Amino acid sequence: MAIGYEPRIIGFLCNWCSYAGADLAGTSRIAYPPNLRIIRVPCSGRVDPLFVVKSFQLGADGVLIAGCHPGDCHYAEGNYHARRRIALLRPFLDYLGIEKQRFRLEWVSASEGKRFSEIVSDFTETLKRMGARET
Amino acid sequence: MINEIRNKAKELLEAKAVECVIGYERATDNLTARPAFVYEPSGADRLIFDETCVHNLSKYLTNRRHERTAIVAKPCDSRGVNLLLNESQLQRENVFIIGVVCSGMKRVRFNLIESSLLTKCQYCRQHTPVIYDFLVGEPVAETTTPDYSDVTEIENMTPVERGALWSEHFARCIRCYGCRQVCIGCYCYECFAEELDPLWIGIRIAPQENWIWNTGRAFHLSARCVACGECERVCPVNIPLMLVNRKLEKDSLQLFGFEPGVSAETAPPFATFKKEDNLGIGE
Amino acid sequence: MARIGVFVCHCGTNIAGSINIPKVLEAVQKMPMVVLAIDNKYSCSEPGQASVRESIIENDLNRVVIAACSPRMHESTFRKTLASAGLNPYLLEIANIREQCSWVHSDNKETATAKAIELIRMAVAKVIRHEPLQPRQVPITKRALVIGGGITGIQAALDIANAGYEVVVVEREPTIGGRMAQLDKTFPTLDCSACILTPKMVDLAQHPKIRLMTYAEVKNVKGFIGNFEVEISQKAKKVDHLKCTGCGICWQKCPVKKIPSEFDLGLGTRPAIYIPFAQAVPPKPVIDRSNCLYIKYLNWVAAGQEGKKPPECRACEKLCPTGAIAWDQADDLVTEKFGAIVVAAGYQTCDYSHYQEYGGGAYPDVITALQLERLMSASGPTGGEIIRPSDGSHPKTVAFICCVGSRDKQRGKPYCSKVCCMYTAKHAIMLKEHDPEIQCYIFYIDVRAGGKDFEEFYLRAVEEAGATYIKGRPAKIYPQDNKLVVRSEDALLGKVVEVTADLVVLATGIEPSVGADQLAQTLKVSYDTYNFMVEAHPKLRPVETQTDGIFVAGACVGPRDIPECVAQGSAAAVKVAALFSQDTLTTDPLIAVVNQARCIGCLLCVAICPFKAIDYQTTRDRRLIAQVNESLCKACGLCIAACRPKAVDLRGFTNQQILDEVTSLWL
Repeated sequence: MAIGYEPRIIGFLCNWCSYAGADLAGTSRIAYPPNLRIIRVPCSGRVDPLFVVKSFQLGADGVLIAGCHPGDCHYAEGNYHARRRIALLRPFLDYLGIEKQRFRLEWVSASEGKRFSEIVSDFTETLKRMGARET
Repeated sequence: MINEIRNKAKELLEAKAVECVIGYERATDNLTARPAFVYEPSGADRLIFDETCVHNLSKYLTNRRHERTAIVAKPCDSRGVNLLLNESQLQRENVFIIGVVCSGMKRVRFNLIESSLLTKCQYCRQHTPVIYDFLVGEPVAETTTPDYSDVTEIENMTPVERGALWSEHFARCIRCYGCRQVCIGCYCYECFAEELDPLWIGIRIAPQENWIWNTGRAFHLSARCVACGECERVCPVNIPLMLVNRKLEKDSLQLFGFEPGVSAETAPPFATFKKEDNLGIGE
Repeated sequence: MARIGVFVCHCGTNIAGSINIPKVLEAVQKMPMVVLAIDNKYSCSEPGQASVRESIIENDLNRVVIAACSPRMHESTFRKTLASAGLNPYLLEIANIREQCSWVHSDNKETATAKAIELIRMAVAKVIRHEPLQPRQVPITKRALVIGGGITGIQAALDIANAGYEVVVVEREPTIGGRMAQLDKTFPTLDCSACILTPKMVDLAQHPKIRLMTYAEVKNVKGFIGNFEVEISQKAKKVDHLKCTGCGICWQKCPVKKIPSEFDLGLGTRPAIYIPFAQAVPPKPVIDRSNCLYIKYLNWVAAGQEGKKPPECRACEKLCPTGAIAWDQADDLVTEKFGAIVVAAGYQTCDYSHYQEYGGGAYPDVITALQLERLMSASGPTGGEIIRPSDGSHPKTVAFICCVGSRDKQRGKPYCSKVCCMYTAKHAIMLKEHDPEIQCYIFYIDVRAGGKDFEEFYLRAVEEAGATYIKGRPAKIYPQDNKLVVRSEDALLGKVVEVTADLVVLATGIEPSVGADQLAQTLKVSYDTYNFMVEAHPKLRPVETQTDGIFVAGACVGPRDIPECVAQGSAAAVKVAALFSQDTLTTDPLIAVVNQARCIGCLLCVAICPFKAIDYQTTRDRRLIAQVNESLCKACGLCIAACRPKAVDLRGFTNQQILDEVTSLWL
């Protein structure tokens, strides 16, 4: 692991649950590593697989998609579709050389501030251990 | 077999049931086949069918939605027709499918027909067309167990090995888009690769852009690729594209039990969902 | 060319405490198209907003980035600020440098500052692509449709009409009243059901703003909130209700008398021309076409006169003093416009014929609870006398079995039907009132008495009516010596018990009415595996659905009792009245937009939209292309992610904007 290596994580967070959960982590002043850059989307179902592919190709070390828990989607069904897309995309990217540990789908509700910070900390730690991308 | 095809074509054209019969004819090298468009009954005699008929003729149906057309279809091509029907690109009453029972296609190199079947034919599990209006040949029972050993071999490599393998393959890509042009699933008027607003890829031949192109196209074909193998056949730099598509084909089958093109009615996995989907991600 | 103003907020020390504001401003000033970068102590305050407003005007800004707290806090606040400066409110983007930066990275000022600069860079990249947008106004048809004429539908219709709006009530049966009309008394007050229901039924029929269509069904629904178009099929009654006075001569003299009455659940009979019960509204008959002799004769003539000739009866026509019989009345299909729809389609009791251990319907003295209501009812088939269906004698021992078909994962519904514990207690009390010598045995699993005065009511059944409660699910009912033996475990005693009863009453579960699933499909409203309608949110939006403008109430949503149904009917009415209180609907402009040139007509977006907001149209060159209904689109973005040729995009979160946000991190 290179010293001073700071992984860059792109996060796509849904406005209604996970973005609010991230806000709650802030309101509760729970610290987590600064490696994540959050992009707000209306729903995890808005995330086009091409965004993920493009993020990795630009040089992202990790990509996080966070949405509402299944059954709680503000738009009723968005996260179910996101789940299906990512179920195919994640093993596919792994097959092409982007390890599946670099791509995470998490369900974070608006009340899970602490959990959000734990996810970011854990993800950052994992990516630091994996080191910079070789492909 | 060939007489049945010719007679049927003649019959359809004479009765004016169709305006055109799309089939195969002998190419000028006198060895391989090439697509043929027959508009007159007398032209039906040009039609052939043998193991050099590799082309997926259903590609030509994508701009013939309102014309009545007959098509000579191998099983893989017939899956292509089902794909087009599934995605509202065809009207069933305008297509007459002359399905042909197929025992496999072979490659022609150095003026000789090779002895072994094309790779895609070795993995083929449907030797009888899945949709047809007229069947040529005796129906064959489907061999049931899918074989994805070529995919598993790569899955079992380490991530670094996999990354290196695909970087090497995609580095050769010259973005001729031949794979897209010949693919039955790629019928968009304007491809994402050519969109300027936003610029997903651009035209530059470089590792990152090649990677996004091949990955993006493959993913747009997830649960849609009918495994006709044409992309790999036409690639001028021999990228093993079917190895990419078959990974998604294997996962679609295992996660959703879905086989593209086998039926014109089932909803594709991305059009629907199940609340109890257990797909190994999320919780 | 964008002229962007970036306003970095201190938020007191909330942001300034962890972030080096001057360093941020220095970096921001160098970002593309930024013409102004200043800071404010509290941007959301009066002076803060004034500073933003003045800066917009003085510097001719056409895009604004506010780097402050979460957009979930103040996006709408700052949109109004832009509007007050004469700038379109949608030309705003907010960078979250408080909740998602200063508050979580307070330990390291350097990294927090670097991150804040990047977050602002992303917002600047996004705001360049924002476009000025205008909300649209859509008209509203201020008429409501209520589907279902039971107590829920009646309450909803009355409340909407009393709020001043026109209502049409469509009821499938020849009369309104629903299940409540079949009940004798209601728990826990022991009110006579018909006495409290019929005044409301009459109010509805006489209300000047309500039009009642009985013997009619909703066949097709098109359109969207404020603008529904509904096809209603009116079944031919064969009686002209405008001429009919309800005198009753026709149904007294009809020769076809022995048709099993649906209203009396097979315990009584009715003629071919009939009203379902004495207090029916409208109190005018319909002719049952499958049993009427003259209609059979007319069909025999039309079919070529083969076989035996049915009698040319026409007795009703000959006797009717006003000539109201209308043999040539035909089924009709009418199309009406509505602004809102309330679904109150009600329930039916579950079939128990697969419970062979209880006779499966073969024992005449094993009846359902609703059938007992008909026996107890003074206007019922026995005039209120409780008798055994087999021999007409008065039962002295009555056994009740609860949860028949409910709480049964294997052979029935897994859910609890909610009302059965209470009505069984009611039956025990009522039977004791009818005949003090009756002894009731109630086989139960649990007693659920959760409502107001419900627990006291149940104790009344135990203490005053002397009902014996046995905890166990009976394994079998078998006939013996003209009686029925109920064999069960008594779980509290740990023994097998047998009760020899004259009459057995089964508390069968309740489920949605027949055709509930088809109705839900017609309305494009979600329904679950049991055919109950699905509400928008079970806790916070109990009478709305995912489809704007369509509301649900009562037992068609889940098992519930009369007070809950009445409350829900009123709740749905208030939602309708609130909708109608506006003159037009304002649609949100941040919606999906289709680029018709790129759309390939694969219709994946149509399949995937949770709100059915995308439909398709055919162009003049005969292509199919997708079309977004601006009033229905909720801007979730599912269609955009599914679209392969990128023909549909989402205003406010376009593909270009999101990609720019990502790319800006490497520029």
